[in-house]
Parts: sequence; structure tokens; C-alpha cells
Amino acid sequence: MKNSFLEKLGSGFKTWEFALFMILVAEFVIFGAINPKFLNLASLFSSINNYISICIISLFVTFVMITGGIDIQASSIVGLTSIIIGVTWNDLGFNIWVSVLLAIVVAAICGAISGYFVAYCGVQPMVVTLGGSFLYSGIALLISTLSSTPAYMGISGFPAKTAEGLYTSFRFLGKWKLFDVIPIQFLIYIALVVICYILLHKSKYGRKVFLVGINRNTAELSGINSRLITMSTYVLTGIGAAIAGVLLTATVDSAKSDLGATFTLSIITAVVLGGTLSTGGKGSIIGTALASLVICIMRFGLPICFGISTQNLDLPIGVMLVAIIAGRAIVNRIKLSPGGRLHRKLPAQKTQ
Amino acid sequence: MKLKKTLGKTRWISSFFFLVALFLIIGMVNSSFLTGESIISVLNNSVVYMLLAVGIAFVILTGEIDVSIGATMGLAAAISGTMAQQGQGWGVMIIYALILGISVGLFNGIGVAVLGIPSLIFTLGTCGILRGIVYLYSGGRTVENFAGDFTAFNNDTVFSGITWYFAIAFVIVIAVHFILTYTKRGKYFIAVGDNINGAILVGLPAKWTKILSYIICGCFAAFSGIIFASKYGQVNIVAGTGYEMSAIAACVIGGISLTGGLGDVIGAMIGAVIMSSITKILVFLGLSSDYNNTITGVLLITIVVIDALTQRRAVETSRRKRLAARTSPDASAQPMAEEVAQ
Repeated sequence: MKNSFLEKLGSGFKTWEFALFMILVAEFVIFGAINPKFLNLASLFSSINNYISICIISLFVTFVMITGGIDIQASSIVGLTSIIIGVTWNDLGFNIWVSVLLAIVVAAICGAISGYFVAYCGVQPMVVTLGGSFLYSGIALLISTLSSTPAYMGISGFPAKTAEGLYTSFRFLGKWKLFDVIPIQFLIYIALVVICYILLHKSKYGRKVFLVGINRNTAELSGINSRLITMSTYVLTGIGAAIAGVLLTATVDSAKSDLGATFTLSIITAVVLGGTLSTGGKGSIIGTALASLVICIMRFGLPICFGISTQNLDLPIGVMLVAIIAGRAIVNRIKLSPGGRLHRKLPAQKTQ
Repeated sequence: MKLKKTLGKTRWISSFFFLVALFLIIGMVNSSFLTGESIISVLNNSVVYMLLAVGIAFVILTGEIDVSIGATMGLAAAISGTMAQQGQGWGVMIIYALILGISVGLFNGIGVAVLGIPSLIFTLGTCGILRGIVYLYSGGRTVENFAGDFTAFNNDTVFSGITWYFAIAFVIVIAVHFILTYTKRGKYFIAVGDNINGAILVGLPAKWTKILSYIICGCFAAFSGIIFASKYGQVNIVAGTGYEMSAIAACVIGGISLTGGLGDVIGAMIGAVIMSSITKILVFLGLSSDYNNTITGVLLITIVVIDALTQRRAVETSRRKRLAARTSPDASAQPMAEEVAQ
């Protein structure tokens, strides 16, 4: 009993998620040792706020990538939801929550359109979502011209404080903090991680997503509506992007059509770093969540501790991505090569 | 019949017809579009996209992707801009662009072909690294105030309004097209993209072909960087962001399949012209430039969906034909391969 537990623990240590966790811990230790200000909770959380959209969207893109697809339109949906909320609330006079709901529904429809083309027409996911990213950011720009506010300024002045200085209504999503420390965006993120974890790893739907990614034909033959599953992952990403868009709008108090336009590469970096195979069939929510946190903390820590300009964070993150991916590829190659671990096992089984 | 067959096989012809149809339709709405002057200006404006698209076409033909070309272009533009400030000549610029293109291409190629890392992810990392290098190189400042000759060359024309840049790019693309379609080594790219395992089995150097495709792609991107700097007269640190996506879109519009092995560089060139003509078309239709992305998106999705549906129909028709031939009584005289094997 104890042995099997230790074995389980041992194999747990070898997983990618554990390695990511160790990287995260190492980041905290190194950054904290160099600059103690880094460990100030309030500033740590405020930094996470800047990147929470990337964290949220990457959770949902994991689903798409597990089915073997890719989604590069999510970042344009962020801007679309933001501007829909702004225009319907400011210029059409909707209730703010109706606007939010409308924006989420529109985002889900956007996801469904791309998902339909991928799943039912058999177009390559990358092309469809590339087209989608042009289309939805274009529509967002067109919607922003409907507004009386100039597009570059952004629509601001969302319902914020009551007379007593408490954040209520929409800005509640951007400013409220639990115990005055933990921002609500972070709480929502944790909730989404749990939901996604259950959805992907503990539910029937999640098993189907994996099966479609591993072998679509087998999935189809065993009675799974693989097309519907594929399409649904894009709808999920749309909804995820919409949630990120709503939170971002509430945080910066400004509805703009180009919010989140630069997220695409970071999102895919997070998903891939989390151990999701871009060819499909393998991946985990915990991995993505940890990887996106690793990136966030690095983006926050490097400027504070090493004085690297915030404009030049692409370099260390690019180096990290290439080093980790190349390192994993090389390790896998050594394992597979003659004399490697896997090869030593296989012939032994054959001779018996 | 033979003509029809070649037309169906040569994918760039359909995109060429699309381009002509597009121009004619715009010409019907606003006849002033169909003058030589405006069409030539569309062509001249497409040079940067054209080089990027043709370069990435090599990578896409071998079945991979490269999202680092925008950053490569930005870095090349910053380097050539700085050289233009110092009054260096074209030769030095081109040599530096070549060195940059080859080293980026080699880096990408080794990561993708030798280490076997998915190309999207590896080139994503390269993109980040290059963006960082652009920042370090230019110190975060916009490179501007070039020597007059450098920017003036953008307006130098060969004949009747066609700039040197377009002429040179056009000649290069045509040359590359003939190398790709009529030489043995050129056909390697399509063979590797069509069926990499088959290519390896018949003895093609698949890894080298992929590395070479990345090197060519890097060089084209670096050259387009020189033209970018000359054309816009200033290079900021985010120059070229998003160009990779436009180049991929141009390839797709030009009939190149992202799964590899299908398409040609002339298609990529025509796709680039279509992409860059959209801005101009909007002007002639009297619409604001806000419609640019929407129209690009609609165009892209429509084209790929139609392409996918026609391809699927073709596959199904041929399957049905095979099935009919198999089940019909006359066919039984010739046993199928599987039956012989049994």
C-alpha cells in the first residue's frame, strides 16, 4: 500500500505539471530573493490582473487544441465583446448586464460559426480562425464606429461606485477585492479552472474531447458525434474569450475594439507550455493553468527584479518557450533512441 | 479537354480569375478604378506582402508554418534603416539581410525538421526572440531620418509607373516558380509536403528540404524588410506585427493548402495582390478603411470553405466511381489488389 503510494508520488514528480510547478516555485524564490517587493501580495495580484485574460482564454483554447485544432481568433473576440458592451450600454441604453449577456451570446455565436466551418466543412482550423480573427476584429471596428465616442478613446464611465464609495454593478467585476487583497478576477479565474478541470478531466464530455483528438475516426465509429464535439470546443473558447473581455473592460473601465489584440501568441504559448500537444489528444487544464501563471509571474517579475523594460518581455519568454520545447524534444529523443529507457523495455517484453 | 485538365491542376489560375473578376466588379461600380494608374499602384503597394507570401509559401508547401516572418521583417527593416542612416550602400544591406534570413531560417529549420517540434510553436518562440532583438537593437526608439536616396528609390520607376521593387520582385517570383515546377530539387518541396514518409522512402532529403524552405522564407522576409524600411521611411519596434498572418492569408487566397503539397508561388503572389488591393478597393467603393479586416475575413473564410467543399466533393465522386467500378459485373474479371493478396 505504502509502496504503491510512493510509486504514485514518484510518477507524479516526473509529470510535466510538477516540473511547471517547480518552475513557478523557482520564479517566486529567485524574484523574491532579488527584490522583496516582489512578494508584496497586493502588487502581485494587481500584476496578475493584467494577464488574467490570457490565463482565462488559454484554459479554453486547451479544449480546442486537444481535439487537434487551433484557435487564433479568441483575442479578436475579446475586443468584440468589449465594444458590444460599450456600444449597447452607452449608445443604445441597454442595462449593463443585458449588454454583458448579449456580448457573451454573440461571442458564442462567433465561436460556433468558426467551429461549424472546421467541423462540418472540413476546413483547416488555422485558416478558419485566421479568417475569423480578421472578421471579428473587423466587425468590432465597425461596431465602434456606430458609437458617438471616437474609436481611439474607448467608451468609459461604466456604473461604478455608490455614494458610500463601494464598488457595485459592473465595475464590481473590475475592482472588488476579497479581504481587500484578492481581486475578484483571480477568484473568477480559480472558479473557471475548477470548472474546466471537471469538464475536461472528470466528465463524459471531456473524455469525448480527448477521444476526438486521439483518433477522430475511432471516436466517430464508437458513436461519438465528433463533429459536434469539435464545434463545441470553439463555442467554449468564444465564451471564454467573452468572459475575459468582460473582465478586461471592467478592469480598465474602457470599451475598445482592439482590447486583447496582442494576446494570440501569449495564449498559444501558455497552452503549449502547459504540455498540450498541438497535434491533439493530450493536454491538461492544470498544466495550462500553471504555464499561464509561469508566464504571468515572469512578465511581472523580470521588470521589477532585473530592470528589463516591459516592452522587451518577448525575448525572455521566447527564449523560455524555445528552450523548454527543444529540451523536451531532445529528452524524448534520448528516451526513444537505442539504449534509451523505452527501447530497453520493449525488447525485453518481446523475448518473453 | 486537355486545357480544362491543366486549368484544374494549376491552382493559381483560379485565383487569377478571381483577381480579374474582383477588379472588373469594382470597375463596374466605379469605372475610375480600371485605369492603368490605379491598378499599377495596387501592384506597387503589394511588394512587401508579395515577398513575404512567396517566402512563406515554401514553408507552407512543405507542410509547416512560420509565424516569425513578421518579426524577421521588422528586424531586417530596423537594420537596413540604421544602415541607411549611416549612408551604407545596397550591397551591404543585402548581405546583412541574407545573413539574417539564413540564420533565422537555419534556427527555425533545425528546431522543426531536426528536433521535430511542431512548427507553429517553435516559430512562435522565434518570433518572441526576434521581437526582443529588434527592441535591443533599436533601443526602443523608432529608426527614421534615412538618407534620401534610400527612400527615394521606392518611387523610382522602370517603365510606366512600375517601380523597381515590383519589377525585381516579379522577376524573382517568376524565376522561383519555374525552379519549383521544372527542376528536380524544386519538386522536392511539394513532394515533402504532400507525403513526407513517401518522400523519405524514395530517398529525398526531407529534413534538408524543410530547413532549406525555412532559409528561403527567412531570406524573403529579410528582403521585404529592406523594402518596408524604404517604403515607409521609418521603422518602429513593432514594425511587421501581424504581417505573418496577412502573408498566410495571402497564400490561402492564392490557393495554397495549409496541409502542404498543394499550390504554387504565383498563387501566393496573386493572393498578396488581392490582400493589398482591398484597402484600395475600399477607397473606390467609397467605404472607410474600417471595413478592411471584415472584408479580408469574409474573403478568406469564403474561399477556404468553397475550396474545402469542392475538394470533398471531388474525393467523394472519385470514391463513388471506384466503388461502382468494383461492384459492376464487368470489373470482376480483374481482381482487386486486396483479393490477390488474400
